[in-house]
Amino acid sequence: MNANDRGDPMSFMAHLSVRRLLVAALAGAFALTAAVTSPQAVAATSEGLLCDTNAQQTFSMTARDGYVSTPDGNSLYMWSYANSSRGFQLPGPTLCVTSGRIVTVILHNTLPEATSVLFPGQKGVKANGNPAQPQFDPGGSLTSMVQAAAPETGSVTYTFTAGTPGTYLYESGTDVDKQVQMGLYGALVVRPAGSPGQVNDRPDSAFNPSTEYVFLLSEVDPDLHLAVERKQPFDWSTYRARYFMINGRSMPDTLAPNNASWLPGQPYGALVHIKPYDPATNALPSVIRYLNAGTVNYPFHPHGSDERVVNKDGRALQGPGGQDLAYLKYDFDVQPGQTVDALMDWRDVEHWDALTNPIPTQIPAITDQLLVGTDTWFSESPYLGIKHALPTLITSNNECGEYYHVAHSHALQQATNYGATFGGMMTVYRIDPPAGCPAK
Amino acid sequence: MTHNAKLPSLSRRSLLSGGAGLAGAAILGSRILTGPAANAAPSLVRAATARPQKQVHLAGTDGWVSMPADAPPDLPFFPDSLAPNGFDTYVFGFRDVTGMSSTQAAAQRGKAQISAPMLDFDEEDDVTITLTNLGLLQRPDLFDGHTLHWHGFVNAIPLFDGVPELSLAVPVGRDLSYFYRPHDAGTYMYHCHFEDVEHVQMGMTGMVFVRPKQNRTPVNGDPAGSKYAYNDGDGSTRYDREFAFLNTELWSAAHYRDAHIQVSDWTDYDPSFWLLNGRAYPDTIVPNGNPSSTAAGRLQYQPISSLVRCNSGDRVLLRMSNLGYQNHAMTVDNIDLQIVAKDASRLVGRDGTTNYITTNTVDVGPGESRDVIFVAPAPGEYLLYDRKYSFLNNGGGPGYGGMMTKILVGTPGTYGPQAAANS
Repeated sequence: MNANDRGDPMSFMAHLSVRRLLVAALAGAFALTAAVTSPQAVAATSEGLLCDTNAQQTFSMTARDGYVSTPDGNSLYMWSYANSSRGFQLPGPTLCVTSGRIVTVILHNTLPEATSVLFPGQKGVKANGNPAQPQFDPGGSLTSMVQAAAPETGSVTYTFTAGTPGTYLYESGTDVDKQVQMGLYGALVVRPAGSPGQVNDRPDSAFNPSTEYVFLLSEVDPDLHLAVERKQPFDWSTYRARYFMINGRSMPDTLAPNNASWLPGQPYGALVHIKPYDPATNALPSVIRYLNAGTVNYPFHPHGSDERVVNKDGRALQGPGGQDLAYLKYDFDVQPGQTVDALMDWRDVEHWDALTNPIPTQIPAITDQLLVGTDTWFSESPYLGIKHALPTLITSNNECGEYYHVAHSHALQQATNYGATFGGMMTVYRIDPPAGCPAK
Repeated sequence: MTHNAKLPSLSRRSLLSGGAGLAGAAILGSRILTGPAANAAPSLVRAATARPQKQVHLAGTDGWVSMPADAPPDLPFFPDSLAPNGFDTYVFGFRDVTGMSSTQAAAQRGKAQISAPMLDFDEEDDVTITLTNLGLLQRPDLFDGHTLHWHGFVNAIPLFDGVPELSLAVPVGRDLSYFYRPHDAGTYMYHCHFEDVEHVQMGMTGMVFVRPKQNRTPVNGDPAGSKYAYNDGDGSTRYDREFAFLNTELWSAAHYRDAHIQVSDWTDYDPSFWLLNGRAYPDTIVPNGNPSSTAAGRLQYQPISSLVRCNSGDRVLLRMSNLGYQNHAMTVDNIDLQIVAKDASRLVGRDGTTNYITTNTVDVGPGESRDVIFVAPAPGEYLLYDRKYSFLNNGGGPGYGGMMTKILVGTPGTYGPQAAANS
């Protein structure tokens, strides 16, 4: 079944969303989103990793509440970390720092309960100058896994030395099952000192900086969020995730550009946009940094290409003598709290060409094809860079004959929006012709 | 499932198919063997190279299968009241109709099998798989498409990747030929990607292997005819026998609702049976069957055995894969398992460092595969099972069931050379 089978108003919303997406995609291709100007500079780009960086590696974050939207028209009450100079966002800002250097994170709390930040994998973490420690009440009960900022107006300053190069998940250390489910998590990217274009200290982890991506995977049980919003109790034995997200968005919102105006609390897209591998002009792979902020494994499956796992949990996969222990996978079973950094490229192995090397089969006549939905990414051609006409009632999302592959959780109920297929924890890899799409 | 009740869909699909979804059965007979594959013009490449040509014809349809006889009822979902005698569970699935006449192929409508036929090819074969959509006998109101997604095929192009939103699906009564030139040995899967959460759960899942070029040029002094899982260069993946296991779960309520014109909220996923190659223990150890023969009775449409038979000292390759939605921790007591590959990639670094893993438990997540080799120990019986014991029952009933099978080890010479995987 798909969304338009359900006979409910939400299915109409889903289609609206797809149309909005298309408009955005076309706009995004030619107009980079305006830069967000703040002391903590954010690169102006419509795709790929959006880093918060700072010369002093000092970040001010505010724990606050807000709302995110889902492609089926729902609105979810969330808590999250925001850059203190910007509005609410889910997930928290992606902090990009350099390994071995001091990092300062000042947390301001506006939530009705105490909250905190845990930085697994970082060295010498301190809170207000004291070693980070679990907190207990006078009766000996654990109240927080690390020093917290008091409700409503509290603050706490964390400092640490950035750990080994790689990707880390930062999360609340207070009332953790509830607060992390509510959205208090974000990505920390630690770059090797002197080699910002590598995942780790090994030269074989070099990537193309223009095709760097974070996939922060998470899930939402909307009943829990409604209970928190209404200040009602929640029975955890009834917990069941209904929405599944990459970077705080569900498919097809994952394809919208970074900072899309219609997703004001969800600034991070997940569209991967690459060109075929070419030893002369496009030799470096892309990097995708997977993080799991959820409660179960997310078996993430990119179509159309293997990816090489080079780092896990901020550690290079190598032997004691530097032997390469990286390996290729077509599915990344990312565990809760785990991070996996993977290099990927797509290679035009067969070089199919309509004139010199045609595919050995034929595309059926249009009347013998089943195109699903009101829009399609299909070019009606097997050839990269060649696009043919569609029936006029179907909207084309294809610009110039580029290829599209999906990438999604293979626990397929997670690739849905509350059960409706082709949603949830899913995004698309776009592969442009080697020369790119012609300008219009 | 795709209903034709919604006006926007109906108008578009009517335009595209000329109402073929409704008239599919009438058109079908003339379509099956006169499709694109048969009409394909020889290309320059095909003329210039002498690659082996492999042709497979699959059909997608629905059907009925049987869970173990002692599973307790879970009414109204299990057993399904609409099931023909001997069966209890509604499924979608594939059938291998290669070589059948169009009439014979069309007669397989309503006779799907689970798991899907196991496919195997050699590296550098030219593979054409034609998929015909026979429609759903139990649900003539639906006009679901089907597709073929070769799960894990590297550097695929969208046309042959089987994702309907990014390419196209095969409507009822039509067919589509997918072309593959596999360059990378290993253990892969295939499944329908049309409304995937439903069609995969309903049973349109199978395994596909690519055999390495090294089989033609044995290494390490191995004799001609030696078989390897990968182009290892050192014989470390050589095996004498191979057995493949597709792990899936089966949620009886969803299968019931598909048969009874109801819908499921897939985020309620709550499986009832845990299957190896479409069967739950003890059916897993029943010999291989033939879906075209009634000899296997209630297991006619679940033809793939998971019984492992080998001789002491044999090197045995286990190809493990998972197209369920849960993780499975496959284990064997008293036999060390060596994982030589994950997801059709041998565990070897770019500098040639091998990193095989010796273990007693092999975790296989949804959409993952593992290639595992063991050396058969002293004669006896050994169990291969999911270490998550709550998956070792059938429908919550008493006794053993689920994802479990036997490894029978005989004295050398007990079992002759293996003719095919799982035999």
